[in-house]
Order: sequence, then C-alpha cells, then structure tokens
Amino acid sequence: MIYLDNASTTKMFDECAEIHKEFSCNQFFNPSALSGGALQVSKLIADAEKYVLSRLGASEGNILFTGCATESNNLAIRGSLRSGNWEYVFSAGEHPSVFNLAKKLEQEDFVVHFVPLAKNGQVDLECLSNVLNERTRLISIMHVSNETGVINDLQKISALKKTKCPRAILHVDGVQGFLKIPFALRDTAIDLYSFSGHKFHAPKGIAGLYVKNKGGLKELFEGGGQQFGLRSGTENVSGIMQMRKAIELIDEKANFERTKEIKRLFNETLLSAGARTFGEGVSVEKCILINDYCGSPYIETLIFQGVKGETMLHALDAVGVVVGLGSACSSKKAGNRVLEEIGLEKETIVSSARISFNAYMSNDEVITGAQIISKVFQDILQRVS
Amino acid sequence: MKKVLLLKFGELFLKGRNRHDFISRLKNNILRKLTAFSCKLEETQGRLILSGYDEAQEGIIIEKLQQVFGLIGVADALEFETSLEETKKRVAGLNFSGVRTFKIETKRADKNFPLTSMELDKELGAVVLDAHPNLKVDLYESDMVVTVEVRTNGKTYLYNKLHLCAGGLPLGSAGKGLLLLSGGIDSPVAGYLMAKRGLEIEAVHFHSYPYTSPQAKEKVIELAKEISSYCGKIRLHIVSFTEIQEQIHKNCDEEYMITIMRRIMMRIAEKIARANDLGAIVTGESLGQVASQTMQSMNVTNSVVSLPVFRPVIAFDKEEIMALARKIGTYETSILPYEDCCTVFLPKNPVIKPTVKRAEFLETSLDIDALVSQAVNNEEILTIDEF
Repeated sequence: MIYLDNASTTKMFDECAEIHKEFSCNQFFNPSALSGGALQVSKLIADAEKYVLSRLGASEGNILFTGCATESNNLAIRGSLRSGNWEYVFSAGEHPSVFNLAKKLEQEDFVVHFVPLAKNGQVDLECLSNVLNERTRLISIMHVSNETGVINDLQKISALKKTKCPRAILHVDGVQGFLKIPFALRDTAIDLYSFSGHKFHAPKGIAGLYVKNKGGLKELFEGGGQQFGLRSGTENVSGIMQMRKAIELIDEKANFERTKEIKRLFNETLLSAGARTFGEGVSVEKCILINDYCGSPYIETLIFQGVKGETMLHALDAVGVVVGLGSACSSKKAGNRVLEEIGLEKETIVSSARISFNAYMSNDEVITGAQIISKVFQDILQRVS
Repeated sequence: MKKVLLLKFGELFLKGRNRHDFISRLKNNILRKLTAFSCKLEETQGRLILSGYDEAQEGIIIEKLQQVFGLIGVADALEFETSLEETKKRVAGLNFSGVRTFKIETKRADKNFPLTSMELDKELGAVVLDAHPNLKVDLYESDMVVTVEVRTNGKTYLYNKLHLCAGGLPLGSAGKGLLLLSGGIDSPVAGYLMAKRGLEIEAVHFHSYPYTSPQAKEKVIELAKEISSYCGKIRLHIVSFTEIQEQIHKNCDEEYMITIMRRIMMRIAEKIARANDLGAIVTGESLGQVASQTMQSMNVTNSVVSLPVFRPVIAFDKEEIMALARKIGTYETSILPYEDCCTVFLPKNPVIKPTVKRAEFLETSLDIDALVSQAVNNEEILTIDEF
C-alpha cells in the first residue's frame, strides 16, 4: 500500500506501542491516586507537559491533554465565551469542528463573523482587519488548511490582533501545523493552540490544547478537577506518554525539508506524466495540481478534470494507493466548502482529491504513487470519455 | 387466570377456502419472529393466543409482533374460564384510575354463552358503575374501552389496550418478487409495501465501483437488513453495472443514458427473477418524480420485460414516502450521502418523454445480451435475515 492520506491520519510509530504497554500494564496508575506509583506517573505527565510546551516554542502557559482535536477546539471556543456584547471571529475555511461550532454559536445568538478566504486560500487579512474591533472576544483561525494545505500567516494575524483588539483571545487550530510547519508560539500572539496526536504518528484518542492563560478559560464539563479543573477526567497516561514519544522522534525542521523534497518529486513525476500545473493563474488541462505557493509541503490538492475525485479515490484504493477527499466531514454531496470559498468551480471541486505526505516515505513510494495516479487517471479518463 | 397476548388478524376472514393456508403461514411467521423467546401459540376461532412467555419481555414481544404482516392488533389480555361471575369479578377489578368515562365492548364468539353481547355489555357496565360510582359510560369518546371476548375455546379474554400492528397479508402468501433496491428513500418503502401484501422479497442492487464507493454498497446492505425485519429473509443480488454504464456513456446519446440504463437494469432484473422463480419485479418509482419516472419513461423501460412490474409508491408524494420511510426505520440510512449507481454519469438534460423506437435504435450499438448475461453471471449474492 502506498499511503497518501496522512492529513487524515498517520501510521503510528512502533515505539509508541511499547510505551503503550508500559503505561497500560506496568505503570498503569491513576495519576490522581496517592500511591508512590501514582505520584511517579503524575510527575511524568507534568514533565510531558513541559516537553510539549518547549516543542511548541512557548515561553509560558499550560497544556491540557484532551481526547481529540475536536474536543480541544470545542474547549478553546466554548471555554472562551462570555456573556455581554462580545463578537466572535472565525475564518470561513475552518475544519468542521470549528466551523460547525461557530454556526451553532450563531444560532445561540452570539455575534459571529466569518472572514472569507482570499483566492490563494489564506484567510483574507484585509477582511479580517475590517472585522476586528474592541468588542472582539475570540479569533479562531487555523494554522494549516486540512483541505488545501495553505498556511495562514500567524504573525500577521497576531499583529492585527495586537493593534485592533489586544484583549481578544486568539485560538489557532494547529492540527495540520504542529510538528509539520516550523514555528514558535513565542513569536506570535496565540493564546490557544489545538493539536492532535494521530496526525503526527502518535495514537488516536490523544490530543492537546495549549493555553497561555488558564484563568481565561472555562471548563466544558464538571468532574474531579483534573488538569486545573479545565479538563476533568482521569488523564490518558499512556496516550500522553505515547504522544510525547512521537514528538521526541520528530525533527520538524528536517521533516519539513524532506517533505518539500517529497512533494517536489511527486509533482515532478506527475508533471512528466502529462499533468499541468495550476496556481497563480497558470492555465489548466486535464490533471491539475493546485500549486499552493503558500502551502504546507504535507498537503496538496489534485484536480482530475473529467473524472470525479471519489472515482479516483476508489480506483486508486483498488490498486493499493490511498488518497483522501478533503475533510471526511465535508466531502459530502453538497461539495467542498473550503474549495468553494477559494473560488473553484463546482465541477473542479468534484474532480478534486487530496494528497498528503509524511516525511518518512521513500522516494520509490513517492514516484510509484505518482505514476500509479497518472496511469489510473488516464485509464479512467479513457473509459468515461 | 393468566396473562396472554391476544392476536387479531385482519383481511384473512375474506379468504374463504384459503383461510387455513393463510393462518398457518401467519402462525409460522409469528413463531419465526419470536424464535428467540420461549412461548406458546394457539389458535382459536378468529384469534391467535400467545402465552407462556416471560412477562418482562412482553414489551419487546409486542414490538416484534407489530412487524408481522397479517396481524392488525395485539392486546395484552387476561384469560380465564368462561363464566359470567368470573367475568364480572375481573371487570370490576380493573384499574380505572385516571379514567372518567368508559364503555364495555363484548364480542361473543361462543354462541352458547347465555347472554347476548348487548346484554353482557349492560350487565358488565352496571358492575363497573357499582364498583366505581364516579365513572360515567360514554359510548362515543370514552377514556377507556373494556373489551370482553367470549371465545369458542371455553375461555374469556379481557383487555383494555390494543396495540395496532402493521396489517396486510402474511408474508409469502402472495408469492415472491424481486425488488430493485437502490440506496434511495423510495425503494425500501416499495419493498416494505409489497411485503405487506404478502410478497416475499429478493432484491437486486446495481453498483458501479469505482464510480461509486464501497460505502454505497454497505448502505444498501444496511437497508436490506432494515426492511428484512418486516420482509423476512432477503437474498440480495449485487450486480456490477460499471462496464454497462461505461458502454452506454460511450455509445449512446447523453439524453437517453438513463433510459437505456433503466432498460438494461430491468432486463437484468427479469433474468434474475426468472432464474430464481420470482414472479414480479418491484420498483420504487413514483409518477413524475424524476425524468426516468414519467409515464413515457416507464413505458419505455417496462417494454423490455414481460413479468408484472409492481410500483407500490407510484401515486405517493415524496413527503408521503419519506414519512413511511421514517416509520419503518429506513429513512436515516437512505439519506446517507453515498452515491448510488444512478447519480454517477448523470446527464444534464435527461429525456422526459423517451420513445421505445429511439431507445431500441440507440441500443443497436450495444451488445445487450452479452452485457446482461455477463452482469448476471458475475452477481454476488448475500443472504440477509433480520426477521
């Protein structure tokens, strides 16, 4: 199998499985208990928290360990709601775990603004600037689009926040950014940052939320008061330790360079097989790459003109190449909200598929993957035209 | 005295000499439905009596019986030896709390019983009024209807609650048919409605992998499971339509694509039906709902088969079909977003009034017999039984 759907989930590091056994069968203590073993694991959690903070480049703040990024995003946003004359600002390109929550808040009579995306896929900074004001309570903008791979400029967004609404809370959904795009929280004005273990080779079921000022956040549910009372419930010790391990194993700068090389190799192979590039106004024909100059090397969108993306997905699946269709939650009949937002035609959108890499793929895998994609595309194109 | 379930069946009375066959089929279906429960089913004239079950499971047993076609109602009843004194005692002992008005309804099947139904109504009404002086009789809008059935087996049945059932005729009493099951809302409802008229169902589904997803196929399997709780065991024939669709796409006018697709589906359905002794084809078509369901389109698709084609929702509005889908529990599955066969190569402007002549002409560019045979030979058959 050639797995090109790493934005959906990644293969777990083998090392995590060993950690899982250790903290499930040997050091299986409840960190809130009073035994020596329990104390030991609670120290390990505290240590893991410090470690994650350091890898985020944070000079202050805490990490809350959650069950998934959806929980982190909900905690960040719901936990920041306040009564009164406040406004909440979201980008129109957010993942459903943010976007649908924002829609819900609108129904609950909160003042919600959606900032459109520019044609390059980034949040439109001019529109963002226009919407921010002293009543802005929360800004929630994703680091890297799960659909297009486009990276938002966190420093420019931070600067806007500082000048237009210094009291506002800036939340960033960093699920496709953390450990993939080198950056440091201390260089930004980010107050909350969500991430999820299974996107970087840790197991599913463990995620986190960086919280700069825990006094400004409210919990989602009541319970035993673990994690500063902001996320009650026995900590997923094994998950936390596995996630820590995965983070230790990742060198994001080296991976970033390696993935750029992977993407270059992949695109080069596709292009030599007859695909045409697209981006910044270059004309398009048949199989197209959305060549996102401000994009993550980990994600790209291919447009298979004349063939539906879903057809390509199944046909590739049948020959052992796994690709994605954007966020599972938005790849429904209605079309793809984010691709629509950046101005693609409906017919182009249904022909799209998402390719996402990891830094550990071999050149052979990448080249073979691209060749198979070209071949299957040509084959289907012939069958349907 | 014991608690029993009194089962009422409907139209079976009309069936003259076949009545016995119908009832024995109904009994078999009930026993099959209740395989997981220990219970005893007896027949007395005009009624079936279910007894010996665990009372804690009564609710779930009633729910199961509500899925058995041929039954119109289930009453949780008290059964006792027929005697006027005993009946009076039991009626007086009923719980009337919260009730202001009542009426007595007597059914005297046992003509040897000394009182007529009307006389018994009066006697028992008087008993209730004596025991509960605050109650009033209201023959038209009573809070509680007390039903007393004096049956020919020497037993009397007393109940005040009747659970309505699905009605219809016992499954299998009308033979077997083949349902064209898509992933949509209409075809599962069509299957349900024909099963309700006693038709056992096999189903055929057309998929177009890779143009449709494996999830679309799973969805249809799920739908088959859902209707199987009413329709009994379903053999699901899964037929790959990919090559046929590609051939049509390449060789035929775009506006006739769906017409020709439907004609080939009907041919495949008939071939499967005949090979499996199925006497009719069932579809979920509703007049005018889409281009392929106009009168002219149905004429053109119908003209390639000679088996009868039943279209039970032909005169239903979409809203009515959806309401029924919700009632039988298929709606939520039907609206899952996976595309079925028909939506893949959808032409922009399908023909609304096709003609047989034009369809036949366009089909000359296809080797229809070979395509149909190949599709049928490669079918996959799943047996689904959630009855």
